[in-house]
Parts: sequence; C-alpha cells; structure tokens
Amino acid sequence: MAPATRIECDVLVVGGGMAGATAALAARESGARVVMARKSPGSTGLSGGAVSVAQDPACMPDAPFAARSGVVESARRIAATRPGHPYQLLRDRLDRLWNAVEFATGQFSSVLAPPTGRNRWLLTPFGHAHPAAACQRTMAAGDLAEVRGTLLVCGFEGHLGWDPGLVASGAVRVESLGGPRARAVLLDLFRWEEGALGKPFDLARLLEAPGAAEEAGKVLKRVLVRGDAAAVLPPVLGIDPAARVAERIAAEAGIPVAEFLSDLPSVPGLRMHRAIEARLAAAGVEVLGGEVRGGAGPDLPAAVGGREVVARSWVLASGRFVGGGIERRGELREAVLGLPVQASEGPFADPSIRFAARPSATLTLADSRAPQALLAAGLRVDGDLHPLDAEGRVVHPRVFAAGAVVGGHDPASDGTGMGVAIFTGWLAGRAAAGRGA
Amino acid sequence: MAGPAHQGGYDVVVLGGGVNGAGVARDCAMRGLSVLLLEKRDLACGASGASSGMIHGGIRYMTSDRNVTALASRDAGYIRHIAPHLTFRIPFLLPFASQEEGSHLLDRVTWYATEVYVGTYDLFQPLKGGKPSVRLSADELYRLEPGLRPGLHGAVTLDEWGIDGQRLCLLNALSAADHGADVRTWTEATSLVREQGRVVAVRFRDAVTGEHGEARAGVVVNATGGWSPGFGRSNGFPVPMRPGKGVHLSLDRRHGNYGIICTAVDGRQMFLMPHEMESIIGTTDDDFFGNPDDLDATADEVAYLVDGAASLVPSVREARITRAWWGVRTTLFEYGVEEDDLSRDHRIYDHAADGSAGLLSFVGGKLASYRAQAEELADRVVAMVGKGVKPCRTHEVPLPGGDEVPSPRELAARHGIAEVIAARLVYRHGSLAREVLRLADEDPRMKLVLCRDEGILAAEVAWIARHERVRRLQDLRRRCRLALGGCGGLDCARPAAQIVARELGWDADRLRAELADLLEAGWRERRAVLDGWQLAEEELLRAVHRGLGGL
Repeated sequence: MAPATRIECDVLVVGGGMAGATAALAARESGARVVMARKSPGSTGLSGGAVSVAQDPACMPDAPFAARSGVVESARRIAATRPGHPYQLLRDRLDRLWNAVEFATGQFSSVLAPPTGRNRWLLTPFGHAHPAAACQRTMAAGDLAEVRGTLLVCGFEGHLGWDPGLVASGAVRVESLGGPRARAVLLDLFRWEEGALGKPFDLARLLEAPGAAEEAGKVLKRVLVRGDAAAVLPPVLGIDPAARVAERIAAEAGIPVAEFLSDLPSVPGLRMHRAIEARLAAAGVEVLGGEVRGGAGPDLPAAVGGREVVARSWVLASGRFVGGGIERRGELREAVLGLPVQASEGPFADPSIRFAARPSATLTLADSRAPQALLAAGLRVDGDLHPLDAEGRVVHPRVFAAGAVVGGHDPASDGTGMGVAIFTGWLAGRAAAGRGA
Repeated sequence: MAGPAHQGGYDVVVLGGGVNGAGVARDCAMRGLSVLLLEKRDLACGASGASSGMIHGGIRYMTSDRNVTALASRDAGYIRHIAPHLTFRIPFLLPFASQEEGSHLLDRVTWYATEVYVGTYDLFQPLKGGKPSVRLSADELYRLEPGLRPGLHGAVTLDEWGIDGQRLCLLNALSAADHGADVRTWTEATSLVREQGRVVAVRFRDAVTGEHGEARAGVVVNATGGWSPGFGRSNGFPVPMRPGKGVHLSLDRRHGNYGIICTAVDGRQMFLMPHEMESIIGTTDDDFFGNPDDLDATADEVAYLVDGAASLVPSVREARITRAWWGVRTTLFEYGVEEDDLSRDHRIYDHAADGSAGLLSFVGGKLASYRAQAEELADRVVAMVGKGVKPCRTHEVPLPGGDEVPSPRELAARHGIAEVIAARLVYRHGSLAREVLRLADEDPRMKLVLCRDEGILAAEVAWIARHERVRRLQDLRRRCRLALGGCGGLDCARPAAQIVARELGWDADRLRAELADLLEAGWRERRAVLDGWQLAEEELLRAVHRGLGGL
C-alpha cells in the first residue's frame, strides 16, 4: 500500500458538529492550522433549529417571560444545582459563556439570528414552547416573548404532517406568561399528490421554486384578520437560506413569517449542517471525511480517510451515541482513543462508581422522564477539558474534549446540549491552539 | 354502564380481553347470547399479545400431553381457515449438534429419536395444513442457513404457522361486537356482586372516563389470565394456577428465512425465528407470583436469550435488539414440578363450591387452541344460562377480513401505492384492506406513509381509529405495530397521534398525554436492551420527544 499523504497541523478536531466546528473555528481564529476529521453529520445536523444553552432550573413554571433570568445567569444556576454537569465543572469560567455563544452564532450568522442574552420561546410541532438562547433566522419572528397581537399558527391543508391546533396549544399554555394569543389555520397549500405525500425536504424544495413562496404568501394573506401580528409555518421554508423563502412569503403576505422548530427529518438541521460546512471551508479548516483509525493521540500519526495526520493537539468532539463518540457494545467506551466512560449524573455522578460495564437496565429508571444515567454517560474531564483516565489523571496534556462526548449531562433532553457544545468547543479550541480562555 | 338494550343485564359477562375472553365472547354472541366483555386495558395486553406469535401444534408437549398437541393442531387448522390473511408459514430447523459424525453412539441414538419424534409430529401436520418434516444433510442445512455455527451435522425440519396474536384477539372481539356483544376496553371489573351464594353482577370502572357502572350477569366468565389469582383473592374465590413469566426479544430484521430451534444454557429448548419484518428470540419460563402489571425484563433474561440463540447463530450477538417484551403464562397448578414440565392443558373451574355460583374461571391453554377452548367454555355457559341457542360456528365463520385474501399486487396497482405496503395492509386487514384503501382514494393525503418498516399509511391509522375500538393511542401498538420497531416511533408517533386525535375528537392536551403514554410503553420495553445503534436511536428519540416535545 502506498504511504498515505501526511498532513502536519497544530490541532486535529475529531467531529464536525456544533462542538467540533466551534473548536475548529476558535482554534483557527487563534492562528492554528486545523484539520477536522469527520465521519458523518452528527446530531447537530439532525437538530431542530434551536440553540438551547440554559433554562433556569429554579424558575417557577408560571413566571412571566419578562421576569426570567438571562441565559448566563440560568447556566450559573444549573452549575450550582447539577453535580457532574459540565457547567458546574466550568463554573469559574462561566463569565466567558456568552463570549462563546456570540462567537459561534457569529460564525454561523448565515443561518443563526443574533442572540439577545435571554431565551427566545419557540413553538415545536408537539405543542410545546421551547426556550432557546439562539435560533435560526427563519425562526426569530416566532418568539412568543416578543410577538404582540395574535400569532397565526399555520399548517398545510394538503399535508398531514403538522397539526396547527396541536402546535398552537404550546402557545396557549404559556399565554399567561406574556405570550401572544394563538390562532390555528390550515393554509390551502400542497393539495396535490407530490405535495401531499412529500417529506419535509421535498416540501422545502417545492417552496424554493420560482413563484412558490409568493403563492404561499398570497394564500397566507387571504386568511389574515385584524390583530394578526406574525405567522409561524411548518419548518420547511426552503433548505438554502439564499432562496429567502420566509422573507418572500412575509413580503407577499405583509406580516412577519417564521418557522416553528423541527422534529425529524429536519430541514433546519440540514441547513445548519451546510452552514457549518461553508464556514469551515471559508475559514480554511481542512475537513477529512472518514473515521480516525489507529490514532494514539498528539504527535502520533492517525489515519483519516486515506490520509495520515500528525497534530500537536487533539480536540475530541465526537459526540455522544448519535455522533458515535461514545458507544456501547456490551460496555460503554469512548470510540476514538478507547478512554473510559465514567461521567454521568444522578447517583452515577460520583466517579468512584464504575458503571461502564453495568447492564443497561441498571443504568436506567422505569420512568422515562427521570434523569437516565445511561443517556448522560460520557468522558470525565477536568476544568481544562482534559479527559481523565480511570485513576483521575489527565490522559494527555494536549488532548481536550468538547461537546456531547463529555459526560454529566443529557444533551438530548436537558436543554443544555448546544450550550455545552459551544462553550466547551470554544474553550477547547482556544486551549488546543495554545490560547487560554 | 350497560347499554340501554341490556337494562335487564347480560346472559354472560366476560372478564378479560385476551384471546380466551375475546374468543368466548365471540362464540357466545354468535350463539345468540347477550354478552358484555370487560377488559381493564386493551385487547391482547397480556399473554395473548406477548405470545411467541405462532399457532404451533406444540411438539414439545407431544409425549406428556398428546391431547394438547392434537387439539392445538386441529384448532390451528381452523384458525388458518377463519383468518387466512393473518397466518404465515415458518419453517423451523432443528439442527443436530454433535462433535464428530458417528463418534458417539449416544448422538446417533439422539438423532434417531429426534427423527422418530418429529416423524410422529408429522401425523398431526395435516390437521393444520403443515408440511411433513424433512431430514437435511449438513450440506443442505448450511445451504439453507449459512449463518449457523460450523460443526453441525444436519437437521430435521418442522413446519409451523406464525400469526399476529394481537390482531387475532382483536378480530375475535370485533366479531363479537358485530354479533351484538358490548365490548368495553380500558374498563376494569372492580368487584363481583353476590346474592345468596351466586354471582349476579359485575361492578366496573372505565379507566378513561373514570365512570363507574354495574352490569347484571347470568354467568360471569373470568378469563383474566395472569391477573386471575389476584382478582380471585380480592373477590373471595381461589384460582389455582402456576403463573410463569415468559420474555421474548425482537431483533431489528429477519436474520434469515428459517426458525432455528436451539438449546439454552440450562438445556431448555428455545428458538430464534423470523416473524413478520423482524426476528424473535424466545422464550424464558420462570415462575412468577407478583402482579403482572409490574413486570419488566431483566438483564439476565436478556443475556440468557441472546446466549441461547448465539449458540447456534453467532451473529445474533451483533444484531440490534429493538425490544424485550413479556407476558405471564397461566399454566395449570402443580406442586414440585419444573416450569417447563407443567402441562399446557387447560381447565375450567366452576366456583359454585366457593360460594360463587354462576362464575367460571378459565386457566391454561394455548393460543393455537383458543377457539376450541372458547367453544368448550361457551358450551358450559350455554348449559348454565339454559337458553335455547344456535350451535357453535366459530370454526367455519371467517373473522372480519378473513373471507378473502386480496392480491397485494392488484391492490397496489389499483390504488397507486407500493406493493410492499399493500402486502402489509392485506396481512393485517385481509379483505378489509380494500375498505382502508377506499379512504385513501377519497382523500389522497391519506396515502402518506407514516412507517416504512411496517407499511403504515395514514389511511390505515384513520381506519383503525374508526373501526377497531381504539380508546387510547397505545392501542395502535397492537393494531398495526405503531412505534414498535427499532425507531420507537421517531417518524410515526406524532403524525399518527394527530390522525387518531382528529378521528376521536381529542384536544391537544389529551393528544400530548396519549403520545407520552405511547412512548413510555416503548421505553419500558427498550431499557433493558439499550446497546449499539439502538442506544443512538434512543438518544434521537429522547431529543425529539422529550427535548423538543416536552413530553
């Protein structure tokens, strides 16, 4: 076999989701030569359009939106109450959390709206109001804390995918917190077979076609009544931000238009993934497709997609189970370097409890709503984001971990997944490039 | 709350919507009795829905209970006749596993004995339309099933019928209702009313609406299966039973086209078989004396089943286990006998001697002989009611949709849907698949595919909601396997819930509560098997339903 082309660089980032991309771009900004190894789009590419960072755990459910703490203050409260959570580990550096959020949203400003410092409240297809520190530009106009007047919640007459009544119920439930009144309508769209049976990506493509958004805008305009202040539509308003589907509908209808958040399959997730790719390319991060094989850490060659990479520092941003950074084949382990999985939450936050080999039934509770130790499992790291071995020692001074591969939180459901990805990615990227926070 | 037509009460009130309860309700209703069926959850929520999904003749019981084998084989033949769309052939391989051909006399004796045994079973096969067994050489065996571990010396085949036990239950209940029975699911019998040593009425509570009611009954049939001992205790009559817990595992795909009989670590016989779109490993058999509502699969049961299947098909260890599910067998009581050696025969207890005249309890039996069991029960009921009625016809009158099996290809072409989806639709609904597709013709949106794995169309969900006694969203787990696959409802749960809500008039809060309930049921079956990609899938599910949905 011919020797693989060798690439020498300062930082190798493993993983290309929100954590890896933020780390790579932060390292790049610090002047480092950065290579990213990425085997597939991870959970960021499957996300629904929200960048959830923190929601105040001590907040009463009936507290008005206006009285709620800001994002950073909420993160501080999580740090104070959640043993093992990465925010607690990094509690002394939480004053930089907002720098990280602004950095990441700035890098991906082609799709992300500028954050305001407080949570936006966005509707989901399930009839839930979801707090998010940042969201896609196509969604900002649907912030329940900002809409004054009636929010028109739209579904499509021709497609059974979304039930506007269900979506609107999420707004009804928080109306007393300062949210708008909501009204559900079906827009007379997609009443033909290709539309009716389309998947979200198909509908997004159909709306990108010349004249389609304008037609949708006309249909929307017909159902407007006095007092309607904004409209939210299913999250299929174009894949390519350059197609400006939401703006075109809004211009035609004469009312602000937003998408609500997406479940799967997710058009906004694909949009986010593409924005990350474009930004990495523009910033000069070399992206190699493929798994990292035979890698033993910094200064040693690792094979990635037919190339050989030698890096001074490594950032593991390989994700949790969806990303593949943590896997379980009878036993939990970290996938790239084979590091021990020893961080979790609840009773398993204590690192002296070796839980990686326990049966899954003993790492879960029967009530799915309870915190699940198995789903919060990941690497244990120190305050500088160095992974620790089973004895609690730093594995390597120039290996860092960022995002969902770090344990102690449940990125799928605890509302801090993107925040941890951005904060740890930003810190790890800078540290790997030789810059302190 | 009996319907106004039954102010005077019912000839018979049946407790339990498993296959025996639904079966006897159908039989009694067809004979002209007035019937009320009460089921505290949904039809087929207990052992009937957690069976191995076979109407097998019970070769295992041939030496001890030959009458069980004969009854099951004959009745399996009837079931094939009344629900032809719902059954499918599963050829089993029973491999011979010795070290060296002919090296041990004992091995040769064992093979010979097995062949004779299976050959005897062949005598029962014509009763259920099964094919005779065939002796396979090692070459033939590995050609059929290359995934078997090396070193096997051949096999005999064994022909059995697979079935959807949950729909079998449902069809019996639907047929009972068609013949005038009142079928109430999610309605629990709370107590029995006695007058002078006689059970005269049943009090019940509707779990969905919370309303209470009382129905007068000529005869009460207790067919509550694993719940019988507990129900009997709290109502003052004994139900002798050796309940046994049985666990199955589902794999995400068909491992092959043949069922494999294998041996577990303790020498028990078990199986790995392709079933519909998945594979099933089963089963454990352990005494269980708790409340069936509290069951869960444990880590060691999962390991026991995987180890047993992997002893012959090693690749099973790499397979993705999508769920572990369980039920409680209601085997006849016997003291000092191992679980496997308990009789699979059935018995009807008359509780007159317990101060509860007019009350019958049904214990034991098999899915394959449910119809004959129900007939026997109905005979007893008829004798007790003392009313001139029609003879039993459950062996010849098709179950709903069982009158004809339409060609999937034809349906696919006529209605413009994929043939694979038409095939699943025909499998579940038989001739009624045409009615389902009529909905899709009237409203093209209804051709939306909600689940590619199971081939569930929006039209099917709407049709089921209208016609198949859906009271809760989780009922669709048993009607069309909604959210039962490896994805756990990632794609289908919300759109299906929206359709059901529209059909049944649920508001958004009810819809969300039903969705949460459906997802919780799936979580319970997965938490003991979260590994490999199934764990990644769980993370996605959690992100969508809990993270985004706030459920």
